[in-house]
Amino acid sequence: MILPYVIFFLAFVAYPLTFSIILVFHRWNIVTPMEWIGLKNFERLLDDPLFFISLKNTLVFLGIHIPLQIIVALGFALLLNAKIRGRGLFRALYFMPVVVSGVVVTILWQQMYSYDYGVLNSILHALGLGPVPWLVDALVAMPAIAVMATWKNVGIYIVLFLAGLQTVPRELYEAARVDGATPARQFFHITLPLLNPTVVVIIVLSTIGGFGLFIEPYVLTGGGPMQSTLSGMLYIYNQGFYFSHMGYAATLGIVYAVIILLVVLVQRKVVEREPE
Amino acid sequence: MKSLLRYGVLIVGAVVFAYPFAWMIAGSFRPELEIGELGLWSRHYTLQSYDMVFSKIPIGRAFLNSLIVSCATTVSVVLFGSMAGYALARLRFIGSRALYVLILFTMMIPFQIVLIPQYILMVKLGWTDSYLGLIAPTMLSAFSIVLFRQFFLAIPQGLIDAARIDGATELTILFRLIWPLSRPVIVTVAILTFMTSWNEVLWPLLVVRDQSLMTMPQIVTLFTIGGGSEAHLGSLLSAATLLAFPVIVAYAFFQRYFIESMASTGIKG
Amino acid sequence: MAIARILIVVALVPFLAGCSKRAQEAEAAGQIELLYWPAPNPQEVKLADTLVRRWNQLHPDIHVRMQPIPVSQSTEEVLLASIAGGTTPDVCSNIQPGALYDYIRAKGLVPLSRFPEFDTLARARGDSALLESFRSGDGQFYQIPWKSNPVMMFYNKRLLHEGGVPDVPRTFSEYLAAGKKVTRDLNGDGQTDVWMGERDIRPIWWQRLFDFFPFYIAASGGRTLFTRGDFTPDRRAATEVFAFFHACYEERIYPRTFFQGGDPFLLEKKATHFSGPWEVASIRKFAPALEFGVAPLPVPDGTTGPVYTHGDFKNISIFSTTRYPEAAWKFVEYLLRPENDLLLLEICDQIPVRNDLLTNPLFADYFGRNPIMVEFARQAPRGRGIDAAPDLKEFFDTLSQVYEMCAVYGTIDPDEAVRQMIKRTTMIVEWNR
Repeated sequence: MILPYVIFFLAFVAYPLTFSIILVFHRWNIVTPMEWIGLKNFERLLDDPLFFISLKNTLVFLGIHIPLQIIVALGFALLLNAKIRGRGLFRALYFMPVVVSGVVVTILWQQMYSYDYGVLNSILHALGLGPVPWLVDALVAMPAIAVMATWKNVGIYIVLFLAGLQTVPRELYEAARVDGATPARQFFHITLPLLNPTVVVIIVLSTIGGFGLFIEPYVLTGGGPMQSTLSGMLYIYNQGFYFSHMGYAATLGIVYAVIILLVVLVQRKVVEREPE
Repeated sequence: MKSLLRYGVLIVGAVVFAYPFAWMIAGSFRPELEIGELGLWSRHYTLQSYDMVFSKIPIGRAFLNSLIVSCATTVSVVLFGSMAGYALARLRFIGSRALYVLILFTMMIPFQIVLIPQYILMVKLGWTDSYLGLIAPTMLSAFSIVLFRQFFLAIPQGLIDAARIDGATELTILFRLIWPLSRPVIVTVAILTFMTSWNEVLWPLLVVRDQSLMTMPQIVTLFTIGGGSEAHLGSLLSAATLLAFPVIVAYAFFQRYFIESMASTGIKG
Repeated sequence: MAIARILIVVALVPFLAGCSKRAQEAEAAGQIELLYWPAPNPQEVKLADTLVRRWNQLHPDIHVRMQPIPVSQSTEEVLLASIAGGTTPDVCSNIQPGALYDYIRAKGLVPLSRFPEFDTLARARGDSALLESFRSGDGQFYQIPWKSNPVMMFYNKRLLHEGGVPDVPRTFSEYLAAGKKVTRDLNGDGQTDVWMGERDIRPIWWQRLFDFFPFYIAASGGRTLFTRGDFTPDRRAATEVFAFFHACYEERIYPRTFFQGGDPFLLEKKATHFSGPWEVASIRKFAPALEFGVAPLPVPDGTTGPVYTHGDFKNISIFSTTRYPEAAWKFVEYLLRPENDLLLLEICDQIPVRNDLLTNPLFADYFGRNPIMVEFARQAPRGRGIDAAPDLKEFFDTLSQVYEMCAVYGTIDPDEAVRQMIKRTTMIVEWNR
């Protein structure tokens, strides 16, 4: 019964992990035999400006994406959490970007962000404002991608928050109102703490997803301008498949994975609270 | 008043999230010059962008490939996932607890580590440029196993015992007894798996170089960055529309299931 | 069932025996078969077809089979994979000298210098400086030069003239000054209509082969970037080239976006374009009214001596899996004969690498009919190839990033650009030791 999974595990989990660890100490381009190089991959990593740039880029991305996502998702969930007509329809529309492929979203936003022909700059032009170099300026590109990623994923989190909000027992709010608490107080002392698990889930999932950002920079900017949208995953792809540096790419993979785990651990420590 | 404001914001939200798709679809039918415009209207609707897409890339073939891969993956995940979930939930064997913990652990492994060695494994097995290479690494999913196990734990032991007394084998129990009772979780897993598999693009980019085997998102990606579109913006929108079309259609029909499955997994996750 | 299986095996045995017997018979009859891979573009395939057909008529005992290189991402990838998979041809004429490092490391090539005629033949193809650049780290030669596509400056005569530039710019200052005159808004709509030049501003690694790399070779008087695997750039030349392109963007004679919707040189939107002889065919086909000239690349002010450039060489090599190295060498010699070099000119419009290109009467007719090709022929001996260093793609990728920062966006100055280029390339080289 469990045999299929065991086979799968050995082949696609255990073996890759072990091989990954072995690869880290070698230099290999698949075609010629592997060469042992000890810790050279790590030495290289420490000197590699692109590695640090990719980390910085990911931080910029997450720094904008996560708060934006939480605020927008929570906002819409709160709005939807009332007796309103067409809630199902709204929910369905907000969720639409989620089911569609990232490639579609990327192409769509590529057109919208286009400097000469894009819809966004057309709107700005109509308002009498100058065009923004959305994907062409090193300072704007990554934030632009973060906004796009938020647009794509926020639907899931609206749904999650909504589900979470609806499990909050009415009595708590009743009791608070009787005690004279304003809606704002109710929100901060009842709603938010009870939503804490959902928030943690969103932060953790978004972080892991953010480190895995690939198709958006790959299609939109190729990692530019000036490597400002080079994500970790994209860098691994370049090193492994473009330059055929299997050993170094494996090293990058392991280091990024460790960083992700550390970041998530810290986040949980910081954000997670037991609801009283 | 407050209610008006509420509706107002919600409607603005709906426009922000849904209108771009409408614009994309409209744009794919408009002549090149009008693409920069915001509106959906055009005097000269045309199919020229679609003509270009169909003539440049084998998108029909790619659709078929995606269908094959996604269906096979979904069937496999549901089949083997339910088997493993059942084993962990209802069969007593040594190490079942440890195995479950291990499975949970694998869910936390970021793809970054596994990407390169899995690719090398495909090369060594000679599975690059093959359906097998596209399907194999996703044939089972730890997540689905967890979902199945969770659900199966709630099935009354009595039912299962009765079946065992009647002499049924474990497999029979699973397929004849448990599956019919498990529609929600099966549908959830199936939808999630199908959607994820359909939209997957990084793995096909690594494993498949032969155009006739590429999946739909992959071929649209390469069309976009490879210059095949020759900067013809309309054709990009057409390609994107074609890629989005199957999912949007499925979504229109099964929208409730999609959302519900996401919500339920989220809460448990 | 078992019986069926046995029967099948039994039936196959004579087949297998027969196959090898046929090969042995063929060998016994003296029939040698060689596999030759030319580049997959239509002209070279046509050329190869003609050459191979003639050869097979002249040499019934050595049969050559021609097969265009399987199309994929790049020839280098395909060749490397074939070395690994043991599916190499005997001879290939699409060998890019920069890729040699990988081929040799995989022990895929036969040292050509072991053949007695190599020395004379090679010396007739190029001067000693050029030949030395093709010698490998172990002192042997694994390639012999075949053809070249030197990168030169194409210029639009009308645009220069209308811009008030009487002479073709030869130095950086002249080029920049000409650029300021030529780049302008023709119809007063606030948008520049004519540019001095244009480059794709995305940091795509092979684009450097048409800006930084050839300009550097010209500015350094024929030096390339690596010596025996060490990164040894001419710092002064590199700095000047970075400064030049930096100025092009800063003075706004190059646009800081990339054109969508057609080739700007063919559309007469830009006055100069750096490319090789293949561009001539393109112009003739798509913009026959374009009046153009070809000149050597601009060099830093005060540079003396002849102007060098990136030669974009394609050489010929023999693979180590060959069973008939002597026969393969004979075929290689045949490919390099003058009458076949003439066919290379006629069919492909590409420059064979030989010392007597402009002096041998055999070629005079072709050059008479195609005077513009004379410019390329003159430049060819002063071309340099890409160094056979490890990780060239990553090197050019790194170079592209530094170039992007310094030239296109101006966020670092040329001195800093050179410093970064050296630092990052040294890191790559060290990692590869």
